[in-house]
Amino acid sequence: MSQVIESNTRPAADRVASAPFFVRGKLVEGADARHKSRDLGVDFTTPRIDLDALITPRTEPGPLFDVKLSEILDFLVETGQAMQRDEHGHLEACIELISVTNVLPRALIEQNVRMAAAYLDKARLLEYAEQNLGDSRLLDEWVERVDSTGRRSFTRAFPPRLIHVLPGNSPLVSVQSIALGAMVKAVNLLKMGSSDPFMAVAILRAMLDVDPSHPVPRSMSAVYWRGGDDSIERAIYRPQYFDKIVAWGGGDAIKNVIKYLMPGLQLVSFDPKTSISMIGKEAFDSDEILDEVATRAAHDVGLLNQEACVCSRVLFVEGERAQVDRFCERLQRKLVDRNALSGKAPPLPREMAEEIEALRLMTDDFGVWGVGDGSGLVVLSEQPVDFHPINKTANVVPVVSLSEALRYVNVATQTVGVYPPARMPQLRDGLASGGAQRIVRLGDAGGQSIGAPHDAMYIMNRFVHWIVHEDGFASRS
Amino acid sequence: MQSAMRLDSEADQLVSLVDTENPFDLSLSEILPRQLAAINERFQDRVQKIKLLQNRAETGRITEVRRMADVVPLLFAHTAYKSYPESWLMEQRWDRLGRWLDTVSTNRVRYLDASTSSGLDEWLKRLEDQGHYVSCSSGTTGKCAMMNATEADLKFAGHALLQGIIWAGLAPNHDRRMISLGQVAATARNKATGKPMAEAFSPPGIAPFVPNVPPITIGSITQMVTLRKKIAEGTAKPAEISQFEAQAAAREQAIQSAIEQAADALIDHRHVPLHIMGLFGPLYRVAALVRARGYDGKDFRANTGFVSGGLKREQLPPNYREFVFDTFNLSAERVCLAYGMQELNTTAIRCKAARYHMPPWVMLLLLDESGDQLLEPSMSGELEGRAAFFDLSLDGRWGGVITGDKIRATWAPCACGNRSPSVHEDIRRYADIAGGDKIACAGTIDAYVRGVA
Repeated sequence: MSQVIESNTRPAADRVASAPFFVRGKLVEGADARHKSRDLGVDFTTPRIDLDALITPRTEPGPLFDVKLSEILDFLVETGQAMQRDEHGHLEACIELISVTNVLPRALIEQNVRMAAAYLDKARLLEYAEQNLGDSRLLDEWVERVDSTGRRSFTRAFPPRLIHVLPGNSPLVSVQSIALGAMVKAVNLLKMGSSDPFMAVAILRAMLDVDPSHPVPRSMSAVYWRGGDDSIERAIYRPQYFDKIVAWGGGDAIKNVIKYLMPGLQLVSFDPKTSISMIGKEAFDSDEILDEVATRAAHDVGLLNQEACVCSRVLFVEGERAQVDRFCERLQRKLVDRNALSGKAPPLPREMAEEIEALRLMTDDFGVWGVGDGSGLVVLSEQPVDFHPINKTANVVPVVSLSEALRYVNVATQTVGVYPPARMPQLRDGLASGGAQRIVRLGDAGGQSIGAPHDAMYIMNRFVHWIVHEDGFASRS
Repeated sequence: MQSAMRLDSEADQLVSLVDTENPFDLSLSEILPRQLAAINERFQDRVQKIKLLQNRAETGRITEVRRMADVVPLLFAHTAYKSYPESWLMEQRWDRLGRWLDTVSTNRVRYLDASTSSGLDEWLKRLEDQGHYVSCSSGTTGKCAMMNATEADLKFAGHALLQGIIWAGLAPNHDRRMISLGQVAATARNKATGKPMAEAFSPPGIAPFVPNVPPITIGSITQMVTLRKKIAEGTAKPAEISQFEAQAAAREQAIQSAIEQAADALIDHRHVPLHIMGLFGPLYRVAALVRARGYDGKDFRANTGFVSGGLKREQLPPNYREFVFDTFNLSAERVCLAYGMQELNTTAIRCKAARYHMPPWVMLLLLDESGDQLLEPSMSGELEGRAAFFDLSLDGRWGGVITGDKIRATWAPCACGNRSPSVHEDIRRYADIAGGDKIACAGTIDAYVRGVA
């Protein structure tokens, strides 16, 4: 399909958001192509894509190849400060624009954009690199090592050429991709999603406020095309231009990318994930504890209005049906309470709502609390439901013991929130073996240690090109 | 036609128009008040009988149907008919499935001892003994929608279709050899729908030709669905997957064999007048084979045909219709095209002006894409939206159905001369239109299951 959905011939009275591009350190404006955002069907315009401009030939070292990590970090910190000052209002405008194309409530988007600026912290980013690479010097120099046989080598985490296929569901991913891409000194092409074709460019514009000629912005491009557009992807998804495609999600989005993998062009995949909770019988020790557990569970379910992979969707609860009914009732109330904080989610899609209404009629086998208007809904079932719970929907499954719930853990399971924390050590081997990748205390699904593994890998470690310089036996040279 | 028509029933009156010569010439203003009264009549009767309808009426605060908009909250999407948990199917919990089916049925589904049914097909057979004829349609995710119908429903479906074919200009006279391409699921509805047509076209005592291949039963369709679930859970063993793939290959061979058998039958019978029935996908493949064997339109008599359903996502060249017609000496006047679905009892028939017409016992409701808002009927020009219907002829379940189809409809008189609402022949599925542009970190196990779609 052609990238140009419709040429921009409509009268000016017809207001559509403009999404400029950022190409190798330069802002590119224009309204040559008109697109529709996937989630909300809002139109936005972009410049025409100049494919050649997106490519840095391999004969030409990337702008950051010889820049020290420390200087890059300093620049990122200044970018964060510029984002906070937002002298030209790019970030403020960005919040407005995203809230039109994205299902997230405005308050959440605003909070995310603020967090994005705070993410650019030198000490934390350095800690991230140390944790991911073992030694951040590897980014700057050829680090010497002599093995046990006396053979000497030099290793460097060499800058890669990366395409980041950004997800549209969290503005924070943009800042993380930009920061990590800069720290590994990559040549970066960010392909934005239709539900947020603004954030990455807004961050890069803040860089221009700091220093328009700095190598960090010159190493970055951020553009939008409709995912799956052959005329663009066939031309640029090639090992002659890029080493790795960093992509989020599954289904059609990843199928599109997989078509282009070949020797020399690898995929770093953040797979589509589902998260769950495991709640032990201790939750019923007292009414206060039940209340606390329901509050924590509601936090993990309702986080980012259940748009992200870390959000809990199925909660396994150790207890009798009557007890679990009490938990469900409480959880539904807590989900509704959260609306004061972050607003309602969109109403459930009709087909899902319809399925739940049918379950509501079978009171022996199911329980349903709440309504499908996005304010918070709880469905109790003996086994996990067949549909994928979204828009603040929690599926509660009673189990005799938490170990029984391990059989429902699978390769799509990401985060598992456990209550009480004392039971985490007993469960974690079984969870990891089943496919889960992250075990947290219930209520802390959104928390993250700096530089911790994500989707069973150290991201920065996967980004870089590990190159070795073999220097033979030092003693025999 | 229906066994116990009540003269005081507006619904029954409208349904009985199936036996009039031209039921397709009633304008919106003539038919709408009658349809609304009839739907209200059905609603008042069924709201006590169909639990899901009762729930829907309460949620939508509908106590009476007076306007078209009142019908919208009462429409069922196909997911209503697949809201049973798949695990019950896997674990053969027929007692529970029966309780579920009861909530979406007009007539009570009585308890069946779970231990006496060894498989889904067996259970469905036992339901038929109770008068419940369950048909199944598998959607994009594979899970089957199970829809209950009565014997009267099946009879009506077949009768209405034959009447529609006659209205379309075909004149069945027991003088054609009927060739069916098969390859449709062996559901009670599919079996019953074609029967009156077959009897009307074929000489007495001559059964239609149907390729001799193993039937596609509901049980065999759901086997695939349950295996898919087991793969997702990680409980399917490689040997099981391998065995399934061998079965799938055998099915593929059966499809190929059906194509070859149909081509042979067509060639063998080319000297007699034929009535050909099938979907465009298989018809195209058979036509290609017949051409490859050196035959085309000049070798056949002036044949008639019946084609229902869309392309089912088959990729065919743009001239597929002409290719099929030219191969078998068919023509637009001698082929009846229809737009139907398992969810409805009635099939809409295409008129001479290439539009599908709604009979008076089926209300056409056009909705916005989300399916929440009614688009008021327009007497001028076409409106585009999501198709929904109320089929008054449905007895075994609720007649209000919201579809996944994007259609263009008008209530203005058609170029064919008839005044009933009509639908443009370009019908698409919303599911096929949505792009693959959505990218997010959250997702399901579906992305991890390969090979079993």
